[in-house]
Amino acid sequence: MKKCTACNLPETYETIEFDENGVCNICRQKSFKDQKIDWETRAQALGELIEKHRGKYEYDCILPFSGGKDSTYTLWYLIKHFNIRPLVVQFNHGFMRDTLLENNIRTFKKLGVDVISFTPNWKLVKRLMLEALIRKGDFCWHCHTGIFSYPMHIAIKYQVPLIFWGEPSSEYTAYYDYADDEVEHVDETRFNRFVNLGITAPDMYNMIKDDYQCDPRELTPYTYPNIRDLKKLKYQSVCLGSYIPWDVKANTKIIQDELGWRGDQVEGMPWQEYSYEKIECSMQGMRDYIKYLKRGYSRVSQMTALDLRNERISKEYADQLIANYEGKKPPSLSLFLEYLGLTESEFNLIVAKTVVPPFEPDFKGMPYADKTHDFNRWYREDENDRGIIFKSKP
Amino acid sequence: MIGILNIGLGNVQSVYNAVYENGYDPVFVDSPQQIDDLSHLILPGVGNFNAVISGLHQLNFVDAIQNFIKENKPTLGICLGMQLLATTGQEGGTSQGLDSIPASITKIETQAEFRIPHVGWNEVKYSNPHPIFDNIKDQRDFYFVHSYHMQCIDQKNIIATTNYGKQLVCAVANKNVVGVQFHPEKSQKNGMLLLENFCQWDGQC
Repeated sequence: MKKCTACNLPETYETIEFDENGVCNICRQKSFKDQKIDWETRAQALGELIEKHRGKYEYDCILPFSGGKDSTYTLWYLIKHFNIRPLVVQFNHGFMRDTLLENNIRTFKKLGVDVISFTPNWKLVKRLMLEALIRKGDFCWHCHTGIFSYPMHIAIKYQVPLIFWGEPSSEYTAYYDYADDEVEHVDETRFNRFVNLGITAPDMYNMIKDDYQCDPRELTPYTYPNIRDLKKLKYQSVCLGSYIPWDVKANTKIIQDELGWRGDQVEGMPWQEYSYEKIECSMQGMRDYIKYLKRGYSRVSQMTALDLRNERISKEYADQLIANYEGKKPPSLSLFLEYLGLTESEFNLIVAKTVVPPFEPDFKGMPYADKTHDFNRWYREDENDRGIIFKSKP
Repeated sequence: MIGILNIGLGNVQSVYNAVYENGYDPVFVDSPQQIDDLSHLILPGVGNFNAVISGLHQLNFVDAIQNFIKENKPTLGICLGMQLLATTGQEGGTSQGLDSIPASITKIETQAEFRIPHVGWNEVKYSNPHPIFDNIKDQRDFYFVHSYHMQCIDQKNIIATTNYGKQLVCAVANKNVVGVQFHPEKSQKNGMLLLENFCQWDGQC
């Protein structure tokens, strides 16, 4: 496969394009971010934005929070630098891990914030995972949509117009680029552009209703709110990373020092090098595994690409990590198959239909990655609960 | 309160819907007495210049609208609504307009390969800044449907043009009055933003 000569990302990476030197558009964005953006003006705009909203509603802002490094840093930064009063909103996708939950408790206590946590119906979540896996080869639809729409519902319920997200998507993809869109608005356009995989909640309801007993209201947490309600609120839904330069490693160091935030082992990743990334979800290894089967790279490539772009590691070292860690099965595969009631060969057949050319996966002969320290505590269903409860056929 | 002129000519529902989706509760204005209660007035498009201006006279709207404009309240004309703001119009015979923008409305005369009416998406290029363009980038596409166009006497009233074989004036402004030849209510995200900007505008430039 063709790869970026600077960061190694392959041609199967979404939104990628290469210039005449074989350098990808995401690398080009990074140089734009470093050289062209007037971060001083942006910092001033951030202060103005916050002062415009301060003290006017029950909370100054809504802060969607997963507990990963980005949302933790966002919360820390806004409290530390602006003494803001946020309502922290957490969408629990069903797979939160022990270390993350401990981090969250510590962070909330140390910073002194109000928190709402929402966990949707697990039985429905499993059905949504299966449908999204079959249609898109991405079982995380419930999480993508829930994370980005549920806090917007809370913004409307509490009548708080300012919503602060963390990292802008232009760090990773070119759906938005730093050059064109001055501030990336986390809105319905963005939601429909890539967050929801092209499947709205009403679409999803119609896809599952014939075989799964479900009330359309159950899809509300995954439905983007009415644009009129948001407009009426004069909502402003922005990323902190549009106002201050986002430096993942520096940010992580700060939350480790200030909040005692701890990283974790993630299946299929080099644990020494990347202990801070995507620690939120016990199905992360599965997500990365499917990415590998579809596109021929996984998170190791993405993380080394970021480090290459920031000139933190050598190309040789990146190649070595990719060779050693990519292309392994996560131990969580067995749990995943139990949740969805699939055999491994059924799973392989589904994924094979979503492969991105020119990559061709080899499903056979892949070794298992190491088990993480908390693997044995991950949710395992009783035999009776495994799989999805389908309606009996008439 | 935002009012949308509705004298039974043309489709006003799409303008209503676009303003409503922006979080406002507009009202349809079908009698001149209602105009006093408004903060903003929108004159929507579609129709024949002469027929609409005659209708406005019959219903005693002309004075009411002109007084509203004199009070420096924000007023937006869309398509024919923009053309009505001119001094005179040629469509359906020469007639007097509302005379808020020194201009005349004439049939589009352009190169032979450009069909009339001018229908579809076309690029809007700014010639002067204006609050209704806030957060909308220059040279974005908006949706047009028209056979007549505005010719301004004073260039300073022109805030945007579009190229259809030749430069056509497509947005004009004069103090608290603004007009757009394209249909923001049919122009997706940027159109919605333009209407939102208008609804938030205090009429000052």
